[in-house]
Amino acid sequence: MSGKLLGGAASERENLRVTSTVKQVEPRQAEISFDFREKLDATLEGFRHNYCYQCGACVADCPAARYAPEYNPRLILLQALLGFEEELIGENSIIWLCTNCYNCYERCPQDVRPVEIIIALKNLSVERGTNPEEITKISDSVLKVGSTTFITPLVDRRRKELGLPSLKEIPVEELREILED
Amino acid sequence: MKYTPFWGCMISIKYPQFEASVRKTVDKLGIELVDVEGFTCCPDPIYYQAKDKIEWLTIAGRNIAVAEEVGHDVITCCSGCTSTLSEANHILKENTELREKVNQRLKKVGREFKGTIRVRHIVTAIRDDIGIDKVAETVTRPLKGLRVGIHYGCHLLKPSAIMQVDDPDHPAILADLVRATGAEPVEHKLRLLCCGKACMSDDIPDRMVIDLIESIEAEKADCMGLICPTCFDEFDLGQIVLNRKYQKGFQLPVIYYFQLLGLAQGLEPKELGLHFHKIKAGRVTEKVAAA
Repeated sequence: MSGKLLGGAASERENLRVTSTVKQVEPRQAEISFDFREKLDATLEGFRHNYCYQCGACVADCPAARYAPEYNPRLILLQALLGFEEELIGENSIIWLCTNCYNCYERCPQDVRPVEIIIALKNLSVERGTNPEEITKISDSVLKVGSTTFITPLVDRRRKELGLPSLKEIPVEELREILED
Repeated sequence: MKYTPFWGCMISIKYPQFEASVRKTVDKLGIELVDVEGFTCCPDPIYYQAKDKIEWLTIAGRNIAVAEEVGHDVITCCSGCTSTLSEANHILKENTELREKVNQRLKKVGREFKGTIRVRHIVTAIRDDIGIDKVAETVTRPLKGLRVGIHYGCHLLKPSAIMQVDDPDHPAILADLVRATGAEPVEHKLRLLCCGKACMSDDIPDRMVIDLIESIEAEKADCMGLICPTCFDEFDLGQIVLNRKYQKGFQLPVIYYFQLLGLAQGLEPKELGLHFHKIKAGRVTEKVAAA
């Protein structure tokens, strides 16, 4: 897919066309999965997709849609309503282009909270193991050291230079314990 | 006024200059920071929430429970931590079923989410509890003539039903706070655009950041002013990356609000860690010195 821009100084930005990491799937006969629909209904906030009446209010103010015309939150909701499991939580799903900006949450007249549906879909994708690597990398770091970033000697030096107290110990064992069932 | 600061990973580890700027400026506003032992990552609202929303709520619920034991309201200095902790606080206060589920897990480590405190971004707490006039009173070196291109970011304001900070389409909070330092807030065309950090694409966030920087440059601002370390990452290191990747010549300094306030209170750029930024803040400090 080429990152086609809508309006603006297109010629100046011509050199910015770079292939997105999310590949466009070849057109194919989509399959409806009722199991998937039931699963989404049972996911936290996932049930709300049933209230979508496809008005498209979520699209106009969506930054991902503005920058990637193939990204369309209304269509994501339609695919959820139809139960298109592969399209939504298969490899390289378009859902990962969501910027989590919450504009759709603000605009939706039905309080569907499209971003929350997308987060629910992301949870189902992670369950299937089709998520982008970064998700695993950062959540693993939280589970391993209790933070998203690692503490290096440079951090300590900078903190000292700024007159800051040294970093407190992160109780990562306690964090892991509350996640065990 | 006593608050428990939740510094988060990005600020305490990656950008400690922001922690320093908050610590060195807010005592003059009558704020006492009561640090608490036992916090972990909030956890982040993008990656960890995408992994498992219930786990995300559980870890956030534990952090809030840790703060509740001390009893002061929590202030966050990162919009990501604000997003996670304010939303989790809201959900766990409203939804008894989820609260019970989370508390079942917290019980194992002797903790409980009770729903007794508030969690807000520090700028919200300052506006609502201290007052913007009080901020202006602490200014000894007004940043006269400094034009600051405001970047709101997403998670300070939205979802507005939960955050209850400002009208997300016509926010004023950051412009008002910038004005209090004596600087001039510049409200450019794309001031409400997302920084794009969460979008998992090679080129979309790049194009958003390029448009945002150009939007601010079009207004001839001296710098960008913001309140989120993740947005900062996109714009400060981001400009270096974009300059290389697309042969751009961006040199727009990106300044965290409390660094601006620190300069206005007479602190030196070094005390505020401005020298750690990838895009050097010379343009800003020269103008401040000349004012």
